[in-house]
Amino acid sequence: MYITRRQMGLGAGSIAAASLIPTTVQAALSADAEKALYEAAKKDGELTWYDAHHAAELAETYGKKFSEKYPGVKVNVVRTTANVAYQRLTQELKAGGPQCDVLSSTDITHAITLKGQGQLEKFTPANGATLTKALQNIDPDGFFHVTSIGTIGITFNSAKVKPADAPRKWTDLIDPKWKNQVSVGHPAFSGYVSIWVWEMNRLYKWDYFEKLKANNPQIGRSIQDTLTMLRSGERSVAAGSLATAYESKAKGEPIDVVNPEDGTIVIVAPSCIPKGAKRPNAAKLFMEYMSSAEASRIAVESFGESIHDAVKPKAGKPLAELKTLIAPPDKLLKGLAEVKENWRDTFGV
Amino acid sequence: MTATTTVGEPVASAPVGRSPRGFDWSMLVWALFATILIVIVVNPIFRLIWESVVSEGGGLTLDNYVRAYGRPRYWQALVNTVVMGAGTALLSALLAVPLAWACVRTDMPGRGFIKLCVLAAFIIPPYLAAVGWVLLAGPNSGWLNRAWMWATGSSQGIFNIYSLSGLIVIMGLHLFFFIFVFTSSALELVSSEMEDAANVLGAGPVTTAFRITLPLIMPAILGGLIIIFLQSIALFAVPAIIAIPARYPVVTTQLTEFFSNNRVDLAAAYSLPLLLITMAMLGIQRWLLARKGFSVVGGKGGERRIVRLGPWRWVMFGYALLVAALSVFMPLVVLVQAAFSKAWGRGFALDNLTLRHINFILFEHQGAVPALVRSIVYASIAAFAALTLALVIAYMVKRNLVRGGQALAFLCMAPFVIPGIILAIGFYAAYAPPPLALAGTAMIIVVAFTTRLLPIAYQNSSAGITSIHIEMEEAVRILGGGRFTAIRRVVAPLLKRSLVGAWILIFVPACQELSTAIFLSGPNNRVLSVLIFDFSEEGRFEQLAVLGGLLLIITVIIVAIGFRIVGRDFMLRRQ
Repeated sequence: MYITRRQMGLGAGSIAAASLIPTTVQAALSADAEKALYEAAKKDGELTWYDAHHAAELAETYGKKFSEKYPGVKVNVVRTTANVAYQRLTQELKAGGPQCDVLSSTDITHAITLKGQGQLEKFTPANGATLTKALQNIDPDGFFHVTSIGTIGITFNSAKVKPADAPRKWTDLIDPKWKNQVSVGHPAFSGYVSIWVWEMNRLYKWDYFEKLKANNPQIGRSIQDTLTMLRSGERSVAAGSLATAYESKAKGEPIDVVNPEDGTIVIVAPSCIPKGAKRPNAAKLFMEYMSSAEASRIAVESFGESIHDAVKPKAGKPLAELKTLIAPPDKLLKGLAEVKENWRDTFGV
Repeated sequence: MTATTTVGEPVASAPVGRSPRGFDWSMLVWALFATILIVIVVNPIFRLIWESVVSEGGGLTLDNYVRAYGRPRYWQALVNTVVMGAGTALLSALLAVPLAWACVRTDMPGRGFIKLCVLAAFIIPPYLAAVGWVLLAGPNSGWLNRAWMWATGSSQGIFNIYSLSGLIVIMGLHLFFFIFVFTSSALELVSSEMEDAANVLGAGPVTTAFRITLPLIMPAILGGLIIIFLQSIALFAVPAIIAIPARYPVVTTQLTEFFSNNRVDLAAAYSLPLLLITMAMLGIQRWLLARKGFSVVGGKGGERRIVRLGPWRWVMFGYALLVAALSVFMPLVVLVQAAFSKAWGRGFALDNLTLRHINFILFEHQGAVPALVRSIVYASIAAFAALTLALVIAYMVKRNLVRGGQALAFLCMAPFVIPGIILAIGFYAAYAPPPLALAGTAMIIVVAFTTRLLPIAYQNSSAGITSIHIEMEEAVRILGGGRFTAIRRVVAPLLKRSLVGAWILIFVPACQELSTAIFLSGPNNRVLSVLIFDFSEEGRFEQLAVLGGLLLIITVIIVAIGFRIVGRDFMLRRQ
């Protein structure tokens, strides 16, 4: 079952409604089951987590908080972009044994491909039942599960661009008035960026990027490169991740956000356990943790999106009130490879 | 022991015969080392070639080459890479040769200081310099451009680091150390007799420099040029940071495209033509040097005198300071500023100071300190291993102890040809699958580093041994000592200084090596350079600067210890 916009809207709407309800959520993982899993995980002692969902600091925070909640189980946090994590994991699988115990990727097609190759462990975290209804059971067979959602919108440097002048929709970025001012990432390096490119292609055909090329955008690698470009004043507007933009803004940096009129892109990002993972019990415990309300609370602290109804996001409008764009994973599988190739042809890198 | 130049004598000599005492144990030693060399170099290369000609089904095919060069974009990347490498080598030579001459043969003031600066330029890894230059010369936000805009009121900066010239400048400024060292070593061994003769015949210092000194040190310069070319085309992080925004595709960034689709076969096919180019270059170098003898350390005496430049020595010093500023001070200043800033873009304001990032890296980030320790340990082991292997092989080759010595020499140089990232794939293919199953272990990285750096070790060892004329070993043999005695009592002491220099020359790049490590990296063997690269992908320049600072501090400490062990500064002239 894949999420439709309406379901996402309903899910997000209930977040707004739930703001009157206290934010504790009943975990679906029973205390006994949790204890048993914890004991088994302690025997594993540690786990290795390839994380593309979060920025380095947030990833480290998750690792630390998990170890605090479950002493005796250490988390080796390896934060990279989605493609790098996927590459490393596939090389490991080819060599005969994964070093990684949990893969959290921003590119759902990686999980789909791995599942298709039979390279994933089947495991459904009991805490999955606590997620927003629309995000549950994203894979009916139970090989991968949503542990994070992210958003891409238009970000800009508020010291150089007045909010009234900021671009309002995606098509504004190809307006010649923003020539030499736009910053984007690279779809072959970043899962987020590849989905942005796919969506723009879907809405406006590849012509959008021919026009974007004429605007001479700064091409980085990760979607977070765009924030660096804005912060330093190197560029003024970007297609960027909203969570880190809000975080920057809260720190007093001159960054601001626009939810584009033609749609805020929502990335549904799953986690999964590779087949033959060396520390499966620790991995399962970690998956339970990442599906729990506490994980959402940590995300929300850093201005991320929440995957639980009862945990409200800290900044920005609730998704229910916005026009959102969510890519159907089955279309992404072939589509992403195509847009990456087209990108290289157009931009030369 | 002083030096003399002999031009026109052949370097090689006839093989010295077996000892009359029976079985020559030395042959066993040579055989052992030759075998090790063959295994660590040939195996990955073989796997690479194999991957490139084997199709999915298992049969032989040229399909991979067709696909790897199927698009014009792929050709363009190859051409771009050669241009970039050539540009970098030329710039490095232009920077280094006058500097080396000034430091070793003239009375330029502050020679010791400049030598230290050159060493510092080498210690700073290229990717750190790239980040520093982004902070300095980013077209809108770089400090230099902001200064220009403030001074002239213009709305645009004048430097754009995201360009081919930016790429060449960064690489050239941080690789020129190699030519500097080779040229300095060669200059140190050239006696003044030739120059005196030229002066007596009426040539001024400049004419003498160009027509007498320069040809004498030409092999050193050429050797350095080739090394710089090969180093620069193999870099991964600098093109990732600079060439992608510059829209200048090069081979290493192109290879990431193949890898991200897990097409190891295409990647292998793509990189082999580069191997051919380098083989051609090495062949040219050999041909150029074939007819001349360059043994410069002999048993006879000689003397070196300094060229007096007069007032021009201050001009020279100014030039040297400029190079030092560009390659060391400017990037360091901005990096230090970033390390202590809340947000580097906000500049040198007092309210922008913080120790937060240092705290995060040292105490909160789980991976930073272990990565640092690993970098140092792996680099040390690799440096020792590479140097030992290279010295033995170089000795074997230069003294003609075995047939097919040239093949061994070629094997030593071969790893240089292959970009680190591709060598890593070869290593992965060769050593990761069972039964060895070395994936993600310390062993595979150490062996990969050793192989990767073998060419530098060999180039150094070979130059060192070449410069020692065989007549001294023959003297030992005549007096009744065996070959190992000759090595121990004559060759080794003569080489001692250049050995320490060579170890540092290998340790420093090993400590910072990224291209080889990035693909062999797993959570248990992640080294600091990989961590820095991962940070650069997120634009966390402040924390990256702290990591870089740590790396630099540790490297400087180890280099300083190395100098103490040698007993004197290895770059200053002996009295």
